[in-house]
Amino acid sequence: MSKYAYFLGCLTPNRYPGIEAATIDLLRMFDIELEYMKGTSCCPAPGVFGSFDLETWLTVAARNITIAEEMGRDITLTCNGCFATLQEADHILKHNRDLLKTINGHLSKIGREYKGTSSVVHVIEILYNDIGPERISDMVVQPLDGVKVACHYGCHFLKPSSVRQRGNPENPTILEELVEAVGATPVDYRDKGMCCGAGGGVRAGKIDVALEMTRKKIEAMNEAEADCVTTPCVFCQFQFDMGQTEINNKLGADKYHLPVVFITQLIGLALGLSPRRMGLHRHRIPVKPLLDKIFA
Amino acid sequence: MSSSQLIKKFDTDFTNEVIEYGSKFFEDVENVRSCIQCATCTGSCPSGRETAWRVRKLIRQVQLGLKNAAIKNDVIWDCTTCFSCQERCPRLIPVTDVVRTVRNIAVRNGIMLPRHVQVAGLLIKYGHAVPINDETKAVRKEIGLSELPPTVHSFPDALGEVKKLLDGTGFTKLIEEASKGVQK
Amino acid sequence: MSDNKRGRIGVFVCHCGHNIAGVVDVQAVIDEISKLPDVYCVDHVYMCSKSGLNLIKEKVAEEKLDKVVIAACTPKLHEKLFQKTLEEAGLNRYLLSQANIREQCSWVHKANPRKATLKAIDLTKMAVAKARLLQEQGKVEVPVEKAVLVVGGGVAGITAALNLADLGHKVYLVEREPSIGGHMAMLDKVFPTRDCSICILGPLMVEVGRHPNIELITYAEVTKASGWIGNFEVEITKHPRFIKEDECTGCGVCAEFCPVEVPSEFDQNLGTRKAVYLPFPQAVPLVYTIDPEHCIGCRACEAVCEREAVDLSQKEEKIKVKVGAILIATGYETFNPAEKRNLGYGVFKNVVTALELERMLSPSGPTMGEVVRPSDGVTPKRIVFVQCVGSRDESVGRTYCSRVCCTYAVKQALELKERIPGAEVYIFYQDMRTFGKGFEELYREALRERVRFVRGLVSKVVEDGKTRNLIVRAEDTLLGVPVEAEADLVVLSVGMVPSKGTERLLFVLNVPVSEEGFVMEAHPKLRPVETQIPGIFVAGCAQGPKDIQDSVAQANAAASKISALLSRGVVELEPYVPIVDGEVCIRCGLCVAACDKDVLKLDKERGVEVKGVGCVGCGACAGACPTGAIQISLLSDEMIRAQIDAVLEEKKEYPLVVGFLCNWCAYNAADMAGVAKIQYPTNMRAIWVPCTGRVNPLLILEALEKGADGVLVLGCYPQDCHYRTGFDKAKRRVESLRELLRVAGIDPRRVRIESMAASEGKKLAVVVKEFVEELKKLPVLGGELVRVAEARR
Repeated sequence: MSKYAYFLGCLTPNRYPGIEAATIDLLRMFDIELEYMKGTSCCPAPGVFGSFDLETWLTVAARNITIAEEMGRDITLTCNGCFATLQEADHILKHNRDLLKTINGHLSKIGREYKGTSSVVHVIEILYNDIGPERISDMVVQPLDGVKVACHYGCHFLKPSSVRQRGNPENPTILEELVEAVGATPVDYRDKGMCCGAGGGVRAGKIDVALEMTRKKIEAMNEAEADCVTTPCVFCQFQFDMGQTEINNKLGADKYHLPVVFITQLIGLALGLSPRRMGLHRHRIPVKPLLDKIFA
Repeated sequence: MSSSQLIKKFDTDFTNEVIEYGSKFFEDVENVRSCIQCATCTGSCPSGRETAWRVRKLIRQVQLGLKNAAIKNDVIWDCTTCFSCQERCPRLIPVTDVVRTVRNIAVRNGIMLPRHVQVAGLLIKYGHAVPINDETKAVRKEIGLSELPPTVHSFPDALGEVKKLLDGTGFTKLIEEASKGVQK
Repeated sequence: MSDNKRGRIGVFVCHCGHNIAGVVDVQAVIDEISKLPDVYCVDHVYMCSKSGLNLIKEKVAEEKLDKVVIAACTPKLHEKLFQKTLEEAGLNRYLLSQANIREQCSWVHKANPRKATLKAIDLTKMAVAKARLLQEQGKVEVPVEKAVLVVGGGVAGITAALNLADLGHKVYLVEREPSIGGHMAMLDKVFPTRDCSICILGPLMVEVGRHPNIELITYAEVTKASGWIGNFEVEITKHPRFIKEDECTGCGVCAEFCPVEVPSEFDQNLGTRKAVYLPFPQAVPLVYTIDPEHCIGCRACEAVCEREAVDLSQKEEKIKVKVGAILIATGYETFNPAEKRNLGYGVFKNVVTALELERMLSPSGPTMGEVVRPSDGVTPKRIVFVQCVGSRDESVGRTYCSRVCCTYAVKQALELKERIPGAEVYIFYQDMRTFGKGFEELYREALRERVRFVRGLVSKVVEDGKTRNLIVRAEDTLLGVPVEAEADLVVLSVGMVPSKGTERLLFVLNVPVSEEGFVMEAHPKLRPVETQIPGIFVAGCAQGPKDIQDSVAQANAAASKISALLSRGVVELEPYVPIVDGEVCIRCGLCVAACDKDVLKLDKERGVEVKGVGCVGCGACAGACPTGAIQISLLSDEMIRAQIDAVLEEKKEYPLVVGFLCNWCAYNAADMAGVAKIQYPTNMRAIWVPCTGRVNPLLILEALEKGADGVLVLGCYPQDCHYRTGFDKAKRRVESLRELLRVAGIDPRRVRIESMAASEGKKLAVVVKEFVEELKKLPVLGGELVRVAEARR
């Protein structure tokens, strides 16, 4: 059984605990155990804190990484924001000696030191590389036949590619392959590669701008007749789920109601995990129409 | 700022400041000097389609050293840091990294959005930008997870570490100062 | 010989306007050099000017000078000129020694005039020291083979071949494809006149085919070459076309009966051809070719050919020719836009390249001149051009402007406007560069014909899955507003990149290339059609992107240069003669083993002997000799030692680096750093060597013993070595030397060997800088004190 240190971040445990449960349960089915990293803080969020003060952002990120180093494990996570922060911090500290000295200077005040012994792996990489679509396919008990899924990668999974070093970000396919593995159909939609609107502190600072981008994306997914949107990023999930509610409130009409499910939740449904355990009933936009279609 | 649009002086200090500050963290920031305003960046920008934000113009302002124009216009906070511009730049300018750099410089000059001051305050107080709430506590319990996650929420000592770091890097003070500017 | 050593030396220091004198204190150089024994020193604002050259001649007479040192620009620029001046002054041309105080000093040390001046003094002292040992050399003249090889049958190759043939020279024209014509044959119309391309090229092609002085060898490649200016031996490999060229009349019956249909390369895969095919109707030679990759061997062609021209037993053929000169005219390829994934080429059917559009526009093309959408064959009404695809784009490693795309896009836009009534045409650009004669007029015409120009590069092309229409995203920077244009067809204005054929040929010929992979000219302004290798010339896009006018002009220039060489009938070679001192030779045979040219012979009795001509002067023999018994005349051990001594008798820098710079790559790279004004530390004193293989490790050791803090050996990349194995030899020797140093307790980091291309000025600067930084971290070698000349003064 392989083990990863699970970095929770903020939104997963504090808004979508169902993603936490789904991810832990799903990976356990493939003999991969997620161990909690105890005492972690906000990653801290790249768009806001990286924009405010890069040195602080790196310092707090480095502290989080040291917790996994103490556990002797590689890190995984369920948020592109956390991925962006921890992976970039790791990249910078491995390549920039001057900064490493500065940051470890800060960490020494709390008796910690960044060593660079844990790498940062996105949970979607575990699903695709460690497990693979074939093994996932083999475990399907409830095929998602006929379900049309709009895939949304989120910006920070592959970009900036010079830092991520995970290939060309222009037309990725791994999310679609995972969706196909459980019998669902990925749908092509306009501006698939576009941002959800939440990043860079825009959701926090300028909610109207963020929501307008979200609305455009949801419109495009609706045009493609998607039954749901799936993403490997809890922040994008939050933006689509909460965002549709906020847009509806602004409009004063229940116009947008596309269900939003995390990739581990979607796969979990096909592999027989309980929708309730995965917290699907507590999403802002009801997931019921999707469940009805699957379990019809 | 006066309403006059006349530029009388280009100042390389700001150009150098951005390159120097940014280069502490990022590679190739000095490439901003070779921008030819081809606009591949702005054409890629999803935010620019909704707002007045033109990342190309920010690079121009950096090139010409127009510091006030760059940091005082709050359009710089419309960027979602999606990195589309940075990926496609034919001159290999780390465009989004330049945005992050200029934002850092703005904050150091006491310029922040009010809502961002609040978010920063949450981190300082709770160690989370999005702390737990009663509703989620209930959900956690309901689906079989611990009521409080095993993060700083469960470990006061760990929160103490984070606070000490935020003090140590000067972040707490930085936000305090910036919040004064915002209140003004 | 002893007379020469006592000779009086004239040192001429050039200001080069402000180029040298703006940084180097010329008077200080003169003051220092004048202190040397038997030296007369004088300066001039421009030594290469008529009055500068006259000064040299006057002073040689007045001051009774025997040798001349010129401290000025790189010898690569005016060495020949100064040599000629020496001859005019009555001196042997080889009694000249030059100090490169511009490219390798004033231009690269602008911020440090004091140290640059000290370095200039050292470089000049080194040149003086070398000059003391120079000896008269006789002329070596060899006859020139009265034939020329032209590689590449595009418009440049065709033009040059016809020119040379008309002048009475024998021309071998080698073309890789089954027909000559190159890219120009693919074009419908050419700018700025918009006349039919094949109508002007076709007649020239026919003339090539029947010119008595031209031997046309198509479907063939140059696979081997040896020799030197005036005397090249070249092997050409002719692929079997399985059709007898003498028998085929081009009637085409074979193709009619051939059952195999494959995409046509000539039509950019938009149309098809048979497995037995003629690439296009106007092909020269008008001979069919069987493509073995697709032929199924049914022999239908054989059965229907009345002339019995089909010969499936044909084998690859090796043709050997002797020529006096070679012209590289291997053209270009278009940039593969699939590398730019945001533009959707290869994914979206209605995104095409400009060359594909050109084939559609051609009346003999795959659509008979009709422009259609590849997805559905419908005539497009809204067409968007995307400029600078693969040009000025560092993200795909293409930093240069391709020079033709702006004007060809304008031409194609006008063509579309004319052929498709009501068509809307947009051109998204970053700068419109319609710089040639008549080009701006064409641009103006396009504006008046309502072609819309949007200033902003396209950042993304998105396809509408249902209609297959394309949405093109950009910003109109002049308005500062993001724009979206829906298009039926998107045309990518792809740039020019060096062709794969060029790459292979340059490898065979060992010709230096620029960073972009185009052939490097001997001098960008003064010798634009000569390569760095004497006797090998270049024309057309192999040298860099250019339009047809410029290609033709360059081809004519190259033809005239080549004709001058062939007509002269003889060529003077550098005197490369190894000299062996039988007394000192220990008969170890290391030099014989080091010589690739098989010029040396070991005789147990008499020692090593030189047999015949063929020496190329690389000096690998001298680099291998453990006793200094074998020397090359242009650069003896003594000359190297004298230069080292000149620098180290009074050390002016810490750390002080002695550099050995190979003639072909590193020395040019250093000059390139100068031209590009790339600044680096002043600490290196460079010694020119013909090849790093010339560097005897004993001399490196000597430099360290005498007080050098480090030694750099800078040469070519192993695969680029002008003498094939010189760098490898140097590398092995330096590695063994480093091991020896380690054992002796000297830090091996003091000796470093690096490779660089002639174009890599930046790399040279980085290597010197890093080496100097590293040396600074090491303890002082031998604990000797650094004597900075200025401090003592």
